[in-house]
Amino acid sequence: MLNKLTVWFLPALAALLAFVSHAQAATPTVADLLAKIDANMTYDTRESFITMRVTKSDRVKEYKMHSYGRGQDEAAIEYLAPSRDEGTKMLKNATELWMWLPSVEKTQKISGHMLRQGMMGSDMSYEDMMDAARWQTMYTGVVSGEETVDGRKCWKVELTATATDVSYPKRIIWVDESAYIPVKQELYALSGTLLKTWTMSDIRTVGNRQFPFKMTVVDEVQTGSMTELIFDKVTFAIPLQEEVFSTRWLER
Amino acid sequence: MLILSLALRNARRNTLRSFLTGGMIMFGVALLTCGMAWTSGAFGGILEKASNMMGPVRIVTPEFARKEQLMPLEENIEDLAPVLAAARAAPGVTGAWARIQMPVTLTVGDDIGEHFALVQGAPPEWYDRALDLAGHIQSGRMFKVDDEASGMCAGGHHGRPPIEAVVGATAAETVGAKLGDDLILDGQTQDGSISAVKVKVVGISDLGSSAQNKFVYVSLATMQCMADIPTGATEVLIYGKTIGDAAAIAAALTADPALSKLSVSSWDGRPPFNSLASIIGALKSMAAGVIVFITALGVLNTMLMSVMERTAEIGVMRAMGLGRLQTVVLFVVEAMGIAAVGGLIGATLGAVVAYYGLEVHGVNLGGAVNKMPPGLAIDAVIHGDWEPIMFVQCFGLGLLMAVVGGALPAFRASRIEPVEAMRARR
Repeated sequence: MLNKLTVWFLPALAALLAFVSHAQAATPTVADLLAKIDANMTYDTRESFITMRVTKSDRVKEYKMHSYGRGQDEAAIEYLAPSRDEGTKMLKNATELWMWLPSVEKTQKISGHMLRQGMMGSDMSYEDMMDAARWQTMYTGVVSGEETVDGRKCWKVELTATATDVSYPKRIIWVDESAYIPVKQELYALSGTLLKTWTMSDIRTVGNRQFPFKMTVVDEVQTGSMTELIFDKVTFAIPLQEEVFSTRWLER
Repeated sequence: MLILSLALRNARRNTLRSFLTGGMIMFGVALLTCGMAWTSGAFGGILEKASNMMGPVRIVTPEFARKEQLMPLEENIEDLAPVLAAARAAPGVTGAWARIQMPVTLTVGDDIGEHFALVQGAPPEWYDRALDLAGHIQSGRMFKVDDEASGMCAGGHHGRPPIEAVVGATAAETVGAKLGDDLILDGQTQDGSISAVKVKVVGISDLGSSAQNKFVYVSLATMQCMADIPTGATEVLIYGKTIGDAAAIAAALTADPALSKLSVSSWDGRPPFNSLASIIGALKSMAAGVIVFITALGVLNTMLMSVMERTAEIGVMRAMGLGRLQTVVLFVVEAMGIAAVGGLIGATLGAVVAYYGLEVHGVNLGGAVNKMPPGLAIDAVIHGDWEPIMFVQCFGLGLLMAVVGGALPAFRASRIEPVEAMRARR
């Protein structure tokens, strides 16, 4: 009897323990996930051409932008279309955001609460659009499960900000298990109110990283409002002129 | 007749008490006259000014009406021409103009977001009719409309004439703008894009109210360009000969099939004035009621004293055949006789103070009006509005004070039993 137990039970127990330990190993830590997301979404330098389509009720407005980014703190955008916004430029330098408005031929600084307002009437704030900070340094959280989003197997992660000056104190993100892109995010205010839902799709390989060529932001507070961001062209790790990140570039 | 002569004799018997009663009535009636004139002038002025500013009749989209506190530029009337044509064709309409209002930040330095103001764009004819803006320019002149300048606000300013603006005195002081300065208005298009316009300050206006002095006034074309509503506006404001015509004009426009998809309303049907008119009416009635009540209390007091002093006399009169009703009438008539004299003097005195002190001179509220919410166009100097009918109304209310105050003592007197009264020897 004892021999039978030894023969069947112990190997079964060993197999079960091995399965459990494998399963535990397969669930990544939040730090791992954030590191892999940061590896895809942040950059040393980036140049892109973007189409931004803003839908409000039955009215659609389309903008074309040429965007530059360097590290976490520097970003620049030049509007190419529509004609009334052509030549409008924005420059983010650390916590400061400067704007060149051709209609008044003047560089102006955007500060305070305006940084969190919709950029050009879109559902993306100036901070959303120009922020490239690493999530690893801003959030901590737990992996709360596995779910499928748009046919992609994802880790569901609940993130809480470790700093007080972030735009969204709480995020629930669904991270593609193979591409390590947050294909869906729910962005919450400190009060717990859902502010925006941000989805990422059309994931392509660019160099040694995965990158979403389409992002959609839905304003959950203002009904009928949605912004699509389509990357027409993205290049990473390219040399950028120093002038791009100076106020001189704005007024050029 | 006997009752009347008895009442008048009684009134003359104790002159001090009668003087006291009459004085109270006089004071109450004078106060009532001044109060009625002042509230009528103050509230009437606010309502007339606000209705002119807001448009006695207004056409907007239903969505704009629903969200109007947010000034939603996206909820605009896209094609103004047919709406203006329909409005101008309505009976009783003397003028109809389009307007766009937008919250902006005024910039003199590099930062956006330092000074908030409201910018208003409308044709010069509207500024003449609704605000008499040209007549209230403190320094400088009225802006000139230059379609080339106004319509090209989205591009640069090289080689183009400047866009001109008149700035309200409070807004100019807040931002530190002077005549000839370039002022940058940072607003939004109807799509929410940042829209900035550089204007030249050609005039600084003082329209007398804090709300209106916080505005920047530009042409409609400038605002259409700034808001990116090239052929439209958010509001069409319609005027008749007086604001009293508003209801009839609104009814005619509501029945017009060409405007069936739009929201037409007269000024008193829109917030905050739909509730304000009844609140003002209630406040005026309450104030008058308090004055009547307090004065009546004083009359009651002196008339009660009179009854107590004359208990024995009343007993004799009752024993000689004076009925209960006659006793009541005797005291009420006595009170009314005194009130007639006091009320006449009070109404005259009140009329003089109300006319010369309040209507002609006015009451200066000073800086207090700056703390009023925007939208309530309250003048710094409030003028009363005394009308001859108030003399009759207040005199009548003076008599009412006497009836109310004299009634209880009269009933008390009528219940005095002759035997007990004579036994009391008072």
